Amino acid sequence: MSTRPADHGANAPSQPDPTEATPRIPSDDELARMSTDDLVRLGNRIDDLEVVSDRERFPVPGTRAEKRAERQVALWFIWATLSGVAFLVAFIAWPWEYRGPGEEGGLLFSLYTPVIGFTFGFAVFAVGMGVIAYSKKLLPEDLTIQQRHDGRSQEIDRATAAARLVQTGRQSGITRRKMIYRSVGAAGGVLTLGALVAAFGGLVKNPWKDGKNSELLVTGWHSENGERVYMRRDTGEPEEVALVRPGDLEPGSIETVYPFKESERGNPEELAKVLHSSDSPVMLIRLRPNVTVIKRAGQEDFNYGTLFAYTKICSHMGCPTSLYEDQTNRILCPCHQSQFQANEYAKPVFGPAARPLAQLPIAVDDQGYLYARSDFIEPVGPAFWERNS
Amino acid sequence: MSDEKPRTARTRARRGTKLRRRLSGLLALGVALVAVGGLYTVFTPAPEQAIAADPAIVREGQQIYDNSCITCHGTNLQGVQGRGPSLIGVGEASVYYQVSTGRMPLAAQGAAAERKPPRFDEAQIDALGAFVQANGGGPIAPVVEDGEQLRGEDLGRGGELFRLNCASCHNFTGRGGALSQGKFAPNLDPASERQIYAAMLSGPANMPTFADSQLSPEEKRDIIGYIKSVGAANPAKNPGGAELGGFGPVPEGALAFFVGLAALIGISLWIGSRQ
Repeated sequence: MSTRPADHGANAPSQPDPTEATPRIPSDDELARMSTDDLVRLGNRIDDLEVVSDRERFPVPGTRAEKRAERQVALWFIWATLSGVAFLVAFIAWPWEYRGPGEEGGLLFSLYTPVIGFTFGFAVFAVGMGVIAYSKKLLPEDLTIQQRHDGRSQEIDRATAAARLVQTGRQSGITRRKMIYRSVGAAGGVLTLGALVAAFGGLVKNPWKDGKNSELLVTGWHSENGERVYMRRDTGEPEEVALVRPGDLEPGSIETVYPFKESERGNPEELAKVLHSSDSPVMLIRLRPNVTVIKRAGQEDFNYGTLFAYTKICSHMGCPTSLYEDQTNRILCPCHQSQFQANEYAKPVFGPAARPLAQLPIAVDDQGYLYARSDFIEPVGPAFWERNS
Repeated sequence: MSDEKPRTARTRARRGTKLRRRLSGLLALGVALVAVGGLYTVFTPAPEQAIAADPAIVREGQQIYDNSCITCHGTNLQGVQGRGPSLIGVGEASVYYQVSTGRMPLAAQGAAAERKPPRFDEAQIDALGAFVQANGGGPIAPVVEDGEQLRGEDLGRGGELFRLNCASCHNFTGRGGALSQGKFAPNLDPASERQIYAAMLSGPANMPTFADSQLSPEEKRDIIGYIKSVGAANPAKNPGGAELGGFGPVPEGALAFFVGLAALIGISLWIGSRQ
């Protein structure tokens, strides 16, 4: 509307001329006398719209071709109706209670979601298709061009709008009334701070509040009160306690083991939780007997015979590195292809990992069960700022 | 003489009874031993691989070994440096897995032995297995009439154990995956139930061994049941339609992105087009 002249309504002629370069705004009387077509034409002129062609699809109403087009459009809406009814019936009557594949009624159950999804989806689709078909088959075929106006608004519009804002500000007197001015500022500031705290406050915590027992430094193998931490296998039953003996593993085998303390026995919640804790899984590996072993300085007595226990958490990005190759004695991490040599203190031999996997010191008690002599002597998983190994 | 005769006769008779006593004693002992032995053989469970005891079959196995395996595994199964590992202690399970999947005899040395049509028939594989079993022992895969007997019932537990022990290499639906330096864990679809069982027991190539003390026979069966329930052979495993290789979100997302987006663009162009 930026091209609209400012002198509207000054001295109105009898009829607006649609061929004028800049349309003149008609008076109220003239507007009341204009036909719909005239009004559309005037609107197009004001909005810089040009109708290039405007052809009726069916210039003669009621022909057989028009009736056919009408039926085709209506057919989509009829489909939508039928499909909607089918959805209602299926939603209420289709067997929805679980049946396993192969059980009686299993096939019917497996079709429940597809059937209600398809019937509902097709109803929506058919309504859309009906609308598209209506516009494509029955609406006039027109071609209209509208001019696009580039650049900013005219100087007069900009100046007046700005003056209006300035005047409103001055009349409110907010700059003069310091007390309101400041209290509004304080309220706004506190509310903003509150919103920020609500959004990000949960992310702020001190990871070092437990000192040397902080989360990043210890794992589930840590024992606060000196209670012995045994090795436990996951049998698929989270409440079952299955301890591991050295003889359970054949040469050239691997087992994922989890920490277990006697005080957890009979506590299903704790027993299940430990199987899902992220830093506890340990790969217990029994090397083949003829493998040459190189131990890391300070970890010479961490193994039990040919049994070695390494954390499953990759020292690169913390992925589970459990692809153990028992001929090459390599442990492969599937995320970034780091490889660790299991018979050489799990040192990295390929890929982006730079540190060996942490090794757990293990021993066997007088009952023949494997246990961890202590927690890992270094943090497991990827690096962090405060890490000093 | 007359006096002497009865004495000798009496003596003879006495000696006779002594002999008879001894003989009957021996006989009774013999009968008892035979009875105990008979009972023992009747009540002792037959070894799982009965043919292992049959020397004729072991000889047949040795013949096959001498023709097809000796070059790489050596005259006494001790292995040949740089060609093939020792077979002492690998057991029938390993022979069954390697030969019935066609991996052995090996076509060429490479990163990983690939599955191919087996060179030997069932009887020959059994004979070869019996020969290796007779020379060093090792695990034996259970002999069953029908592989379906090795499928466990508890698919939930089987799936849990599969994801814990197997999925890191074989993918969570057994599609297989890459290992280091050209090696790979194979797709589990073509493997029979007994082959999977034998593989768990023997740990072929770079696969770790899963002894019965680590995964009980019931747990192994549940794992096999799970593998078969998600494998290509199960027609009911994909009620939702095409599995797109069973690899999960990557092919599914790629399909949604390229095919779905192209379809949406096409439909938008069609809606906006003029006839």
